[in-house]
Amino acid sequence: MEQRRTFFEEQRRNGRDSILLAIVVSLVLFGLVYTFAYIFAPQDLIIVLPISAVLIIIYTWASYQYGDQIVIAATGARLAEGDEYIYLNNVSEGLSLAAGMPMPKIYVIDSPEINAFATGKDPEHSSIAVTTGALQKLNRAELEGVVAHEMSHIRNRDIQFMTYVTVLVGLVSILSYIIRRWSWVGGSRRRSRDRGSGSFEGAVIIFGLILAIVAPIAVALVQYAISRRREYMADASGVELTRFPEGLASALEKIKNSNQGKMKVDEAVSPLFISDPNHSALDAFFATHPPIEDRIKRLRQM
Amino acid sequence: MGRKMDIFTIGLIGAVVVVALILVGLYFSYYNRIRVYENQIDEAWSQIDVQLKKRYDLIPNLVETVKGYATHEREIFEKVAMARAGMISGTPQERMEASNMLTSTLRQLFAVAEAYPQLKANENFKLLQEQLQGIEDKIAYARQYFNTSVLNFNNLITTVPGVWFAGGRGKREFIAIPEGERQAPKVQF
Repeated sequence: MEQRRTFFEEQRRNGRDSILLAIVVSLVLFGLVYTFAYIFAPQDLIIVLPISAVLIIIYTWASYQYGDQIVIAATGARLAEGDEYIYLNNVSEGLSLAAGMPMPKIYVIDSPEINAFATGKDPEHSSIAVTTGALQKLNRAELEGVVAHEMSHIRNRDIQFMTYVTVLVGLVSILSYIIRRWSWVGGSRRRSRDRGSGSFEGAVIIFGLILAIVAPIAVALVQYAISRRREYMADASGVELTRFPEGLASALEKIKNSNQGKMKVDEAVSPLFISDPNHSALDAFFATHPPIEDRIKRLRQM
Repeated sequence: MGRKMDIFTIGLIGAVVVVALILVGLYFSYYNRIRVYENQIDEAWSQIDVQLKKRYDLIPNLVETVKGYATHEREIFEKVAMARAGMISGTPQERMEASNMLTSTLRQLFAVAEAYPQLKANENFKLLQEQLQGIEDKIAYARQYFNTSVLNFNNLITTVPGVWFAGGRGKREFIAIPEGERQAPKVQF
């Protein structure tokens, strides 16, 4: 009963987080678009801003509604169909029976690394993707541990929030990148056209530039902090399904020893995965996942 | 005096109404929770049922495939057929017992198959083996969900205040976990 209550708390918290995030990210997006428009087409601001506001609202809604498909497409996952994947489908169906929820759609990603992620809107519209490397290198108990971990993300309603974050953050980073890259071009063009038109313009551009640099970092930090807590949660509730902590512990050990951290996936998608798909020098600050040793230790203490 | 009585009476009526409303609210809430758990148990059983039927349907395929290679193992085929027959009718408890018996006879069958390299290499056999292993796991997982649902239901109707609203409902039975299943069996030659 105790465990069940924490599920509900977790689900409520995820719902609240989603709304908060949608508002913050929408405002950041609007700030970026405003700067963007100010640099490139200052004379059309009055048309550009309402249109972009509408577009942002549509985008926010669409990333809630179709975020899972965007993520699936971004990782190049394909449906796990046919006899070849009957084993993976069996394992997943068993765990969804244990969780008492509908079976998610199962995808595979072609990669020698051991990894997996879950995405979707709610348990009725959810997907789990597993790498071909995981299928080859993990035994049944280990694979069950990994799939149960992903299943728990679905059950705790992490997926909705995480998918949402991923898609929104993706756009923020793209826009920021464009602004950082092109602002000096647009800026110099404008300066030559109407020379010295006041300090307001300069302030906007500087503000926008700062936003363009800081926004992706800030959003990423929030994203990372949140996703670490969720990983521990999903480890624990995954074990509740398999009743076998050693399965996931041993899978994580294999991940630690054999993964190179060289999957070709976008940074924005990486917090969705069970193990960070790309390692970088910034790992200590931006680790989307708690240290793997610590997760193994906790599992072995259960 | 009369006026004071009125106030007292109104207060009393008010209090009675409030208590009655609380009781009605509690009744609705607990009635619904009990029904939700009951439905969950039924749903859990029907999931097990689906797997038992799938298993029932797969066995003849498996036996045919094995017979093609291992013609002399009559005894084991008979045992499998007997266990399979028990799975389709009877109380849930009886059917689960038949299914458990089938689990152990299938293990013997697969152990026998180890002695036939050609059979082991047969694609169809490998597929059937995976399917049956999958179903066995699914039955175990569905049973786990069933037992969790039963536990939640029993907790609800045997503790205060759920017990007041249980309407004489009795505790539900768990599905027993067979002894051998707790540890994975090792087959060695």
